[in-house]
Amino acid sequence: MVAGSFSVAQKPIAIKGGKVITMTGETIENGTVIVRDGRIAAVGKDLKVPVEAQIIDATDQVVMPGFVEAHTSSGMSQANETNQTVPYLSVIDSIDPMNSYFRDARRNGITSVAITPGNSTLIGGQAAVIKTGGDFVDEMILKPVAGIKISLRPVSGGRMSHLAKLRKALDAAKKKLADKAEAKKDKDKKESADKKKDTDKEKKPSTATQPETKVESELDKAMFALLEGEIPAIIYCEKAMDVGQAIRLIKEYKLDAKMVLGRDCHKAAAQVAQMDLPVVLDSTMVYWEEDPRTKEEKKIVLPEIFREHGVKFVFQVARSNSQTLGSNFLWYQAATAVKYGMSEQDALEALTILPAKLHGVEKFVGTIEKGKDADLVILSGDPLKVGTWVDKTIVSGEVVYEKDKDEQLKRLLTGEETDSE
Amino acid sequence: MEQLCLRSKNMKRLIIQFTTAGLIFFLLAAPQLAHAEDSILISADTVYTMNGKTLSPGQVLVVDGKIKAVGKTVSAADSSTQEIKLGPGSVLMPGLVDPYSQTGLGDDGTDERTEEITPNFKAIHSVDWEKSALRRQRENGTTTMCVSPGRQNVFGGITAIIKTYDAGNPILNEDGALIASMCSDPTASNRSRSRPDTIFVRQPTNRMGVVWMLRSTFDKVNRASAGESEFPEIKQVLTGKRPLMIYARMSHDITTVETLANTFKLSPIIVGGHEAYKVKEMLAERKYPVILDRIDTRATTGAEQSKLCWNQAAVLDQAGVTFALCGNDLLDQARFVHRHGLSREKTLAAITATPAKLLGVQDKVGMIKPKLDADLIAFSGDPLDLTSRIQWVMVNGQVLAHSKSITETNEKNNDAKLGGDSVKTKEGN
Repeated sequence: MVAGSFSVAQKPIAIKGGKVITMTGETIENGTVIVRDGRIAAVGKDLKVPVEAQIIDATDQVVMPGFVEAHTSSGMSQANETNQTVPYLSVIDSIDPMNSYFRDARRNGITSVAITPGNSTLIGGQAAVIKTGGDFVDEMILKPVAGIKISLRPVSGGRMSHLAKLRKALDAAKKKLADKAEAKKDKDKKESADKKKDTDKEKKPSTATQPETKVESELDKAMFALLEGEIPAIIYCEKAMDVGQAIRLIKEYKLDAKMVLGRDCHKAAAQVAQMDLPVVLDSTMVYWEEDPRTKEEKKIVLPEIFREHGVKFVFQVARSNSQTLGSNFLWYQAATAVKYGMSEQDALEALTILPAKLHGVEKFVGTIEKGKDADLVILSGDPLKVGTWVDKTIVSGEVVYEKDKDEQLKRLLTGEETDSE
Repeated sequence: MEQLCLRSKNMKRLIIQFTTAGLIFFLLAAPQLAHAEDSILISADTVYTMNGKTLSPGQVLVVDGKIKAVGKTVSAADSSTQEIKLGPGSVLMPGLVDPYSQTGLGDDGTDERTEEITPNFKAIHSVDWEKSALRRQRENGTTTMCVSPGRQNVFGGITAIIKTYDAGNPILNEDGALIASMCSDPTASNRSRSRPDTIFVRQPTNRMGVVWMLRSTFDKVNRASAGESEFPEIKQVLTGKRPLMIYARMSHDITTVETLANTFKLSPIIVGGHEAYKVKEMLAERKYPVILDRIDTRATTGAEQSKLCWNQAAVLDQAGVTFALCGNDLLDQARFVHRHGLSREKTLAAITATPAKLLGVQDKVGMIKPKLDADLIAFSGDPLDLTSRIQWVMVNGQVLAHSKSITETNEKNNDAKLGGDSVKTKEGN
């Protein structure tokens, strides 16, 4: 169904007539987007369309940058490894391009996604930002290492031992890193001393024994990268109390952190705001919370709380069996935020450029701009309307989804069996 | 029809206006409005009467908890009439009617697990008016509910039709329909008689047993004379004096219901109906209405491996089948049913007028028309728009302020922050 995106020269595509929401602040009525070699070649009004271009008529439709999902553990053969301290493993080895997650993602307008190890882990492995179109994982990768997942929710046992294990791993790596730096210093000193000696007494062989260069384990390498800020930490906090722990860890080990917050974490919104950390909200954004003492219920609206604290956040969708109808759609999450006071512009940013920035891929995706990847979604109408459908999804210049050809959707909407199923 | 759609550009501005205006309104006006004896004149940009007419703008006069008058312009009852003017873009519509629910019933379950035939059990005896579930329901716009015993019994009991707010007279009908099950649910956790000491020694253990128990019970009651029947409720169903609701999901179960209905001359309301679309012609011909289970936007199969059709409401509508929606999130259900293909009017009818009619309470609720109960919802915008908010809900003429969100009450609970207590939560919107 999906051809490889690094296949040979594609015909240019011209998407004409639609309302182009570029997310750079400009919305072009009756605009044109020209796609060449998988990238956006031009965007504007009354553009000259190359003669050989394939024309996509988007009249009365809306053209947007493809949606970027900032955190999911779907699309993998298994969200978590049994071993809980595996920062050297990569989700790339577990991504299954045939997983129905990717089909649904394309249907829902998602073109890039940060696949992240699940929350049932300690140091769970490396996340990757990938495109949703492709048959082989190699051709889908946008950013192979987007972060190392750290979960503060204990898998088994209590939080004390979970945190202790985490600190032990971090401390061990920190010490090794310090030793390494010390050894390097010694070595440098020795070398310069040797050099000096050499210049003093020429041709006399050095008697000093060279310090052994230790072969670093995969674990050490990954932990060093985490501690040196080369790889960000994607920290999952289940409860508000975890946020405090996360902040302690971030400060103590100087982590470059991004937060994935369980719904209870709204109680720590002020702390999150103070740290100015990028945040992925829980997929259940509106719920009723019962006071443990009084049994009184209170309506909690996550986007409202975090917005009032000035926290910038992006959305994630429910993996399964959520009671909230529609929470499996990113646009539904955005519409919910708008319902509770977010501006439509901010909500659309939280679907596109904000998650792209969160994972540092904003040079490639998140807006419709010349030179960026041609990841586009063509919608039947305004993005946050319940009656709007994804008509076409384009990943790296290739049409990977067309509603007209979506046989499964056709069956679900008509109840009639089709031959191809 | 499309003129009712509100333009999204205005939405943001509206919502901001509404949140501020709404808050001030409640702080100032809510206490005075709490008396049902008062007359209230409500003006909205659009009034969906669900009575075939849509007024824009429109006014509704409420006197003593009942709707007194509806029209483009309605004159106030007297000088003491309070006025509620809803802002631009506002929509007023009847309170929603949920025709099948277990919400609001006691925590001890909705199924009797010792017997399989309990037609004499009444849901009304399990209604807990203090339950916050009822509050969640009305904050989601539902003002009338048909609460039903569960579906793990072959004959579960008698439904009750209630308001979601105890405003003096919250019971519409405490002696509603008989609910029966034609699905695999009554067999759940039943085992064979090898363990006579457990309470789970009950029949049936498979679907054939369910059909047999339905059939044999109907037959036994049919043969008995009116006075001596063990189950007068079933007798009333057989003599057409009490409605029958049967929970059936799969198409073959619905067909079985038809066979039973033919044999015993019943006219059942089908509840569940996951695969009703597969037997739509029969349902249309027999005029069996269907109360459709909640849809799911990610599942392609439902319980018992039923094959789902997301757009079944529109498919049934085209075939001429009467249907209503149910669920704790009726509004979102309606929005997605509309997304999947059902027209605006039909979608709104499926959560108001149609279920009211199915429940036989159309003279009380489901529309905005004179003499009906003043059960209303005020929206900030198009009710089918995901970004519209409920401003307030009125039950029997009483305006119920929408619960304030956490940011307004946060300070009070600061001491509870970061606590170790487990917090129970429920999803909702």
